[in-house]
Amino acid sequence: MSTKDWSEKKILGKSARAGLLVVVIAIVTLEATSIIQYIYSQRGIKEEASLRAQSELQSATNKIMDIVNQAEGSVTNSLWVAEWCLETSPDSLVRVPQRVVEINPVVVGSTIALVPGYNKKYPLYSPYATRNLETGEIETLSLATDSYDYPSQEWFTQPMASGDGYWSEPYFDEGGGNMLMTTFSMPVKDSKGRIAAILTADISLDWLTELMENTKSYPNAYNTVTSRSGHLVLCTNPEARQSGDPDTLVYRAPVERTGWSLSIVVPEKDLFAGVRKVGMVVKILQLLGVVLIVVILRLIAKSQLKYKKLNTQKELIQNELRIGRDIQMSLVPKTFPAFPKRTDLDIAACIVPAKEVGGDLYDFYIRDEKLFFCIGDVSGKGVPAALVMTVTQSLFRAISSRENSPAKIVASMNDSMAEKNENSMFVTFFCGVLDLVTGQLRYCNAGHNPALRVGAGESMVVVGTAVSRLPVEPNIPLGLDAGFAFKEQEAFLGYDDSIFLYTDGVTEAENASFELFGEERLEATLSLKRDAQGQLDATRDAVSAFVGDSPQNDDITILVIHYLATPVKQDRRLILHNDIQQIPQLADFMETIAEEKGLDQSLCLSLNLALEEAVTNVILYAYPAGADGLVSIEAVLREHSLEFIITDSGVAFDPTAVPEADTTLSAAERAIGGLGIHLVRQIMDEVRYQRLDDNNILTLVKNI
Amino acid sequence: MKITIETANGTTTARLEGRLDTPASTEVTPYFDQIQEHADGTVILDCTELSYIASSGLRLFLALRKVALAKGGKVIVKNINDGIRQVFMMTGFLNMFEIQ
Repeated sequence: MSTKDWSEKKILGKSARAGLLVVVIAIVTLEATSIIQYIYSQRGIKEEASLRAQSELQSATNKIMDIVNQAEGSVTNSLWVAEWCLETSPDSLVRVPQRVVEINPVVVGSTIALVPGYNKKYPLYSPYATRNLETGEIETLSLATDSYDYPSQEWFTQPMASGDGYWSEPYFDEGGGNMLMTTFSMPVKDSKGRIAAILTADISLDWLTELMENTKSYPNAYNTVTSRSGHLVLCTNPEARQSGDPDTLVYRAPVERTGWSLSIVVPEKDLFAGVRKVGMVVKILQLLGVVLIVVILRLIAKSQLKYKKLNTQKELIQNELRIGRDIQMSLVPKTFPAFPKRTDLDIAACIVPAKEVGGDLYDFYIRDEKLFFCIGDVSGKGVPAALVMTVTQSLFRAISSRENSPAKIVASMNDSMAEKNENSMFVTFFCGVLDLVTGQLRYCNAGHNPALRVGAGESMVVVGTAVSRLPVEPNIPLGLDAGFAFKEQEAFLGYDDSIFLYTDGVTEAENASFELFGEERLEATLSLKRDAQGQLDATRDAVSAFVGDSPQNDDITILVIHYLATPVKQDRRLILHNDIQQIPQLADFMETIAEEKGLDQSLCLSLNLALEEAVTNVILYAYPAGADGLVSIEAVLREHSLEFIITDSGVAFDPTAVPEADTTLSAAERAIGGLGIHLVRQIMDEVRYQRLDDNNILTLVKNI
Repeated sequence: MKITIETANGTTTARLEGRLDTPASTEVTPYFDQIQEHADGTVILDCTELSYIASSGLRLFLALRKVALAKGGKVIVKNINDGIRQVFMMTGFLNMFEIQ
């Protein structure tokens, strides 16, 4: 558990670090983006504001120029009248300002002021016409008073000096209309080109105030008009101007001729209010985004942890499957050569499961000079098949340890397996018992692929290696039908013959074009090799060359039994009836063997004696009185030993269990009986007894 | 199996010929009964021509020996071959009989 906690923490720590990095990067990126966006939008807004101000100023200037032109026009258009009056009747000069006021409504007052001394009659003369605002009547008064020295006034001196039209500084007319005014003055020249008088037009600037107040580009923006000399003529918001906000943008435009300057003053907070609002919204969205990223990262870390956990579970299962495979593999014999001390037998075998665990099996072992072997294929794959495989393997071992007949072994296994087969699993199974002495092969094929026999067989004149299929009785696979009567078959192996057993993983191996390896290819492969490992390797190589890169989809299992003994002839078996008169046949039987084996007379007699004692025992006691019975004596000749197998089907009797006779007793003390088994023990090197299939099997071994 | 019995001067000589196997033992049991009648004296079992003996034969020998013991006679086994000597050895018969 501590390891698990540790790894969880590690994962969470890792994700937390990665997550923090992502969040930091996200924040930096978002911040940088918003700064850039802010700078650009500020710039854009400024440009836009400038354009807007310029256009406002332009329009205001145009309107001003309109009025200025009108005002100037009203003066210049009256110049010829003034010139004419000067020439003809100076008294009528008073008509000129009246006319100027009359023809132009923007003109509230006008005067024509004679240059002092120009007219003898009027050294100072300046009639002033003004419109009475209440009556609309034009009233005329004189400016040439003692209190008002008009020739020193700006409106008089400037055009005098320049000889051209002049716009005065705007001023507040307290006496007249109590309004902001400006005066346009123009010199009037006589026929000799001398300046004779100055003609003026006073213009109310109320319209200018109105115009500037109506020019409102931003809520808190204000406008100013300054005069040529820099005096503030008007300001639409004097309080704002007084407060002196330093963060303002000022746009200016000059007004021609008058020398005025129009300004639009925009506080930056006005200008950037929108963008700041947007900035706030962006900031909130960014914050939400970061929170969202953190949440997502948490979720990802959790799901990673879950995935990791799943992986760990998968690894555990994999590990258990590996262990399962090891257990499975430990059930089948897999040390080769399997019987290094034997020269009469060579075996090779392999299981190549398609998955971790498989449903194929094989087994072999030697008991009583018989090779018990089997191969099987459980229906299905994976763990269920593997479980059935182990059961099958164990049953084979258990049942074959006390049963010699393949059909009975298979029937017994089938009964056990069919009894509790709720999942309808079945096993195709081949069980064989090879008598290593005689070469007799008894077998039972329960629905499995036919076994192949490789070798010359009984006919010794075959060129090359013949491959043939062992005949198959139609038996059903194991586990389907309890009580099925399995049929047993028999074959005889000769020296150098092989039995090749396989599961359908071999013949049904599939290549990329969905072709099967098949039996013909298998048989062709086998015809090239004789030894067990050679056949196995050649088959595996051929199959893998055939399938190429295609995945293995079924377990591949091969068992090869190569028989390398010269079978003992059948006539080394003697079968006697339970009649004492048949005993002398043993002497002939023994003599044949002694002859073949080159035994001396004395040993032949001893062996004869041992046989006779053992067989007599059977004849006299195994069968009920009067009942007919048989006793079989089989001789097995080996290089360094002789073996006699005495078999009867009488009542169970184990001669090896009879206590040793005491040969040291005197004749008087000695019992008459008990000598027979004593002699057998004395003569033979090994005496074994077995009760099998209702048979007494007594095996006598003599080393020579 | 052939058996010849001769009695002279208180000594009974039985000449055994051939194989004294189980069926032969049954066969010759009446002759051994006859020999037992002379077991108060010396009984010589001449085995020169006896090629083989089974435990059933040994039993006949032992039974004869027991009777002789009871009657105060003696049993001499003569000229056994190597095979039979081995059997006698294995069964302790070498110690029970006088072997010549």
